[in-house]
Amino acid sequence: MSKTVTSLLLRNGLAVVSVAVAVGVALLAQSYGLQKLDFPLLLMAIAVAVWYVGTGPGLLAVVLAGLGFDYFFSAPLYSLDVNPVDRPVFAVFVVFALVIASFSARRRRIERALRQARDDLAAEVVERTQQASLLDLTHDTIFVRDMRDVITYWNRGAEELYGWKAEDAIGQDAHRLLQTVFPMPIAEIRRELLGAGRWEGELDKRKADGTPVAVASRWSLRRDEQERPVAILETNNDITERKRAEREVRTLNDDLERRSAELQATNKELEAFAYSISHDLRAPLRHTVGYTELLQKNVSPLLDDRNRRYMTLILESAKRMGNLIDDLLAFSRIGRVETRKTMVGLEALVKEVRHELQPEIEGRNIAWTVGALPGVYGDRSMLRLALVNLISNAVKFTRTRPQAEIEIGCTKGHPGETVVFIRDNGVGFDMKYADKLFGVFQRLHQTEAFEGTGIGLATVQRIIHRHAGRVWAEGVVERGATFYFSVPQSWQESRS
Amino acid sequence: MSELGRIVMVEDDPNDVELTLTALAEYNLANEVVVTRDGAEALDYLFCRGAFAARTSDNPAVLLLDLKLPKVDGLQVLQEIKSDARLRMIPVVVLTSSHEERDMVASYRLGVNAYVVKPVDFHEFVNAIKELGIFWAVINEPPPGSIRKREAG
Repeated sequence: MSKTVTSLLLRNGLAVVSVAVAVGVALLAQSYGLQKLDFPLLLMAIAVAVWYVGTGPGLLAVVLAGLGFDYFFSAPLYSLDVNPVDRPVFAVFVVFALVIASFSARRRRIERALRQARDDLAAEVVERTQQASLLDLTHDTIFVRDMRDVITYWNRGAEELYGWKAEDAIGQDAHRLLQTVFPMPIAEIRRELLGAGRWEGELDKRKADGTPVAVASRWSLRRDEQERPVAILETNNDITERKRAEREVRTLNDDLERRSAELQATNKELEAFAYSISHDLRAPLRHTVGYTELLQKNVSPLLDDRNRRYMTLILESAKRMGNLIDDLLAFSRIGRVETRKTMVGLEALVKEVRHELQPEIEGRNIAWTVGALPGVYGDRSMLRLALVNLISNAVKFTRTRPQAEIEIGCTKGHPGETVVFIRDNGVGFDMKYADKLFGVFQRLHQTEAFEGTGIGLATVQRIIHRHAGRVWAEGVVERGATFYFSVPQSWQESRS
Repeated sequence: MSELGRIVMVEDDPNDVELTLTALAEYNLANEVVVTRDGAEALDYLFCRGAFAARTSDNPAVLLLDLKLPKVDGLQVLQEIKSDARLRMIPVVVLTSSHEERDMVASYRLGVNAYVVKPVDFHEFVNAIKELGIFWAVINEPPPGSIRKREAG
């Protein structure tokens, strides 16, 4: 408050002083005989007051100068009266003083406005600089270009991504500098940008060193107060790596699809092959057996023992081949048919299988130990076939034992799987052949000792593999064997 | 066993034809067997056309049908039979080497009356043919309009 008062006093004081000085100097000049300086000197005092301290004190100066002129310099002197003759001169003085005052006032206004504008500009520069340095903090690539695509701002993220320094990039044509490849005509992009105020899409650009880079690009349009578009802010995210990974996935997928198609074709061929085995190989076999038996019936009485034995051998071989074909077909079918998985109670299944094997068990002395068995998730008929093979093997290979012992149970495996074992005290096997056990047509015993086609365990393995399980065996010659298989406990684990 | 229905057999393999006929002969069922050697011939017989234009139009008591046949295959023959109003009544037995489930399913879907897989073992084969012959040609009462033959004696 007091500051304002002081300032008011000072400003008006300056007006008073300048008029007083003008009057003093004019009077002094008069005493030296220099007439007519009063008028311009007072005008100068008004001008000084208006110029330096503003309109209010300027008006005060006009009034004081008018009074001073009237009092000191117009007749009658030393009186505030004005001679009728001097009235026009006095009027011109006042008007001239007012004109000067108003010019001066306008100039001050303009000057104030200019200063205001300069201050605003300075503030904006400070603010923008702060924003720009904030934008520099982000690792995102941000740059601004004007409507002719000339770069006006280039942040540090842009420097890092494209390898151009801000001073090199600013002033350049953005699209030319980055060799931008657009996915659609640029005119279309511009139309969308001007319409919606934004555009986004994927662009291919190049770094300073020529390396191609794919970016997800977002453009925002900036308009001025008159809604005229003035600049485009573009942010880029490097998606080169993502695109490469996508391409790789696509290539892998295509590859997988192709291979799956090939596999399907192979499967079809296999199926046709199996069908042809089923149909075409069995017919001649049937004929061999049929006509040999007819022959046997007709000529047997005429033959000696040796020739009768030949005929029996022909029949046995043909029948054996029939069994081989059947087993091979069953084996191939496991690979071909869809699995129908449900919860399967293993305990009931084992009971069922033992019942099925009754003809082989009959008359044998077998001590069975069947532990508690859980339910597993799998294809019932396939698991049944696996159990038939394993249990009938145990029955078969304990044939030489006066007291056969067969144990079926469940043991710990990896989490989420059930491990079932079938243990016998039969003839066993040498562990060095363990890897051969599960191969097709692999046999560790002579046919005379133990009949079989050598497909049983291969079938078991195939079934368990189709259940995403494992199968293995332990054995000692003449000390028995144990076969293990694992199956998933629930459907989650079975999806492999 | 006073009457014997006519058996029509569709079989391209001469060995199978002979074996089957031998098996049927063992039980005196072979007198009324007509053998056609492919699907087209079988259809000619059934529709009384071509070489069979002159025959009486009676239906056989049973048709023994192989699946893998030259020209027109067994499933197609079966389909034509089952989509013809007059022939539909003929009992059809598929007699095949094929164990394949899809053949079996396809046959039943088309309305086959029985599906028999030819056993490799000769005794079983003879037994199967005998039982088929006796059941369809003797025991089973065929639909009206089937050819029957008075059994001698």
